[in-house]
Amino acid sequence: MSRRLPLAVACAVFVALFATAAPVGFVRDEGYYFEAAKSYEQWLVLLVRDPFAAIRATERYWSYNFEHPGLAKLLFAISHLLFTSTLRFLPDAQSWRLPGFFFGALLAYWLAVLGGQRSRACALLAPALFFCAERTFFHGHLAALDIPICALTAGVGVAWARAIGLLPGSASPLRGGLWLAFVYGCSLAVKHNAWVLPPVLAVHALLLPAASRRRALLALPWFLLSPLILFAAWPLLWHDPVKHLGDWIAFHTHHVHYAWYYFGRELRAPPFPVLYPLAVLAVALPLPQVTLGAAAGLRLLWDFSRRRLGDLRLLELGLAGGALLPFLLGTTPIFGGIKHWLAFVALLMPEAAALLEETIGIATGAFPWLTRSRALAAGALAALLPGLWQIAHLHPYGTSAYGELAGDLPGAASLGMQRQYWSNNVTSVLPWLNAHAIRGARVFFHEVNAESYRAYQQSGALRDDIRYASGPWDADYAALQWHREFRDREPETWNAFGTRMPATGLYLDEVPQVVVYARPGLPGAP
Amino acid sequence: MRAKPGDELQIWPPWAERARLFIEALPVRAEEDLRAADYPGVDRVWLLALFRSPRNGVGKAREDLRARGATAGERVRFGSLELEPWELHAPKLLVDLTAAREEHEVDYVSRPCVLVRLPGRFSARGPGGALHVRAGIVGERAYQTSQGPVRVEVRADGALLGDLTVPPTVPPAPGWRKLDLPVPPGDHLYEIAATSRDTDRPFCVAAWVSEG
Repeated sequence: MSRRLPLAVACAVFVALFATAAPVGFVRDEGYYFEAAKSYEQWLVLLVRDPFAAIRATERYWSYNFEHPGLAKLLFAISHLLFTSTLRFLPDAQSWRLPGFFFGALLAYWLAVLGGQRSRACALLAPALFFCAERTFFHGHLAALDIPICALTAGVGVAWARAIGLLPGSASPLRGGLWLAFVYGCSLAVKHNAWVLPPVLAVHALLLPAASRRRALLALPWFLLSPLILFAAWPLLWHDPVKHLGDWIAFHTHHVHYAWYYFGRELRAPPFPVLYPLAVLAVALPLPQVTLGAAAGLRLLWDFSRRRLGDLRLLELGLAGGALLPFLLGTTPIFGGIKHWLAFVALLMPEAAALLEETIGIATGAFPWLTRSRALAAGALAALLPGLWQIAHLHPYGTSAYGELAGDLPGAASLGMQRQYWSNNVTSVLPWLNAHAIRGARVFFHEVNAESYRAYQQSGALRDDIRYASGPWDADYAALQWHREFRDREPETWNAFGTRMPATGLYLDEVPQVVVYARPGLPGAP
Repeated sequence: MRAKPGDELQIWPPWAERARLFIEALPVRAEEDLRAADYPGVDRVWLLALFRSPRNGVGKAREDLRARGATAGERVRFGSLELEPWELHAPKLLVDLTAAREEHEVDYVSRPCVLVRLPGRFSARGPGGALHVRAGIVGERAYQTSQGPVRVEVRADGALLGDLTVPPTVPPAPGWRKLDLPVPPGDHLYEIAATSRDTDRPFCVAAWVSEG
């Protein structure tokens, strides 16, 4: 299969993400990454003006957000420097997010490449199945690290497959190896999920037939070059690298556990339920993706147990399993919905697409008018429609989305599932605050951190005069995000404001997400 | 059907709090366990349910109300809402000792109660009957298992009536602890004292006397 189809799919995903990003609120993590990108942009400007001064001052500009490597945030900074600071072509948030769209497109490209090994239909369906769900679609919009590392996991898989001859690629082992080292280096320089990839690929190499095994084992040493990319893309390491690497690793090996609401229980500390990530996927994604994804995983496992799994499908199974495995241990932090194991979903989609196509093939010819192309179109539409509806209905409130198995949002609320995470849903009430809040009003934004608050003002989504209050006692208005672990904030607001009646709010299918209170007598108060 | 003093509105499912935007006539409650919930001073609860909502559990809510001896009145439907009055047939409230105007969250439910600074005490006069004391650590700090328990002592006219231990909450054990005691008839000075080795946690107490 030529690269034209994957490229077309990637372009379509990029355009879709670019066109639908404006209403997406700034998630907590983005608040930090925006601040990091601002600092790194200043460093880039200094680098152009005075390279030696910039090299001397890496600690000053790069210490912020030391817990994640530099590449993604560096790209956010370059994008902002180019498209906003220099060309004044894009708003701040859109330029910071642009690399995120690019990684979304890359993911679509690599999924199409993997799907394309089965058929052209699978090349289209694999990325479509992944992105036609509000949760995954939402993540594609963010200046964050989750879609980038998901994309690069798929990218490392494709680069590995090319390097060891499972996919057609460069005839030169040198070029294949260098590309593999580069792509893995990029993943290492984006997020620590990349740490699991070399062991997964080593196991894959050992499980290959003898003829391929030698070539695969010989490809493994290329990974030794990858830390060069990590080092180059993360100037924080240019001084005292051992200390900074230690800080990075220690941050994640001693990460705090945030409370997380799961089937009526507030999970606070290990041991977490072993099936937690699978259960969350089952209730969060649309039913076709859940069904096809589960069937794909089971078929890969079944074929593996029967030694009928081809080398490329074995690779997909390994990468999917590697993305999921840390979260089955019961000790890894589990907060953040499905974002930490998006690569598990993505790497199952080529097989899921094949299953869908096979199922459609059975129906073909059942009626004289049901030709293969018609059946494919109808089957694809049936599989993608629930997810498309979810996007149309819920976007941009992606972290709130639940699928049919949960009973959508109301069912998930009754089941006792995390209502939302981060704080991006607050965008729904910013227009109300802009319209009603008194001049200089103090607003308690609850989970919206100061960085995101400043970003909302910078983007024009929030009036400049509105001030950031530290709690309801200190505020004229309060915009509370519904989180089980923060239920004390609402009665605290009632007590401070002397009213139990909200002024407005965001309710999705009746389920409270953001509730706004105003002190009695102020504009907008009930 | 009209609301009257002594009525409250219970929403169902308990997350259906959008009702707070529209309900002015009655206090709105979002209790999660209708079998065990306290409704001191409430004669009738209006159950407002999203009966078409997936997994709404309204059947279980009705069962729980029936199990506590409540009886249902006429049920009416407005679109996707269902409204049903339930007479609680609860013993009459004689005095609300804490008369809380504030509410605080314990076990993720908002409770009318008064904050007691640890160590702390309060007192109030009231008649004999059935004394009900409820107490819990407010907010997420209730789940700090490294902290010690809070001990609540209840006295009438200086004599110890009973005590209640409120440990850090480890679900499924409740964090909102209950103590119900019979008190002989007559006027009494009730004293409630709360102590703990770890004093930097918000602690909330509610107490009332009903007919025995």
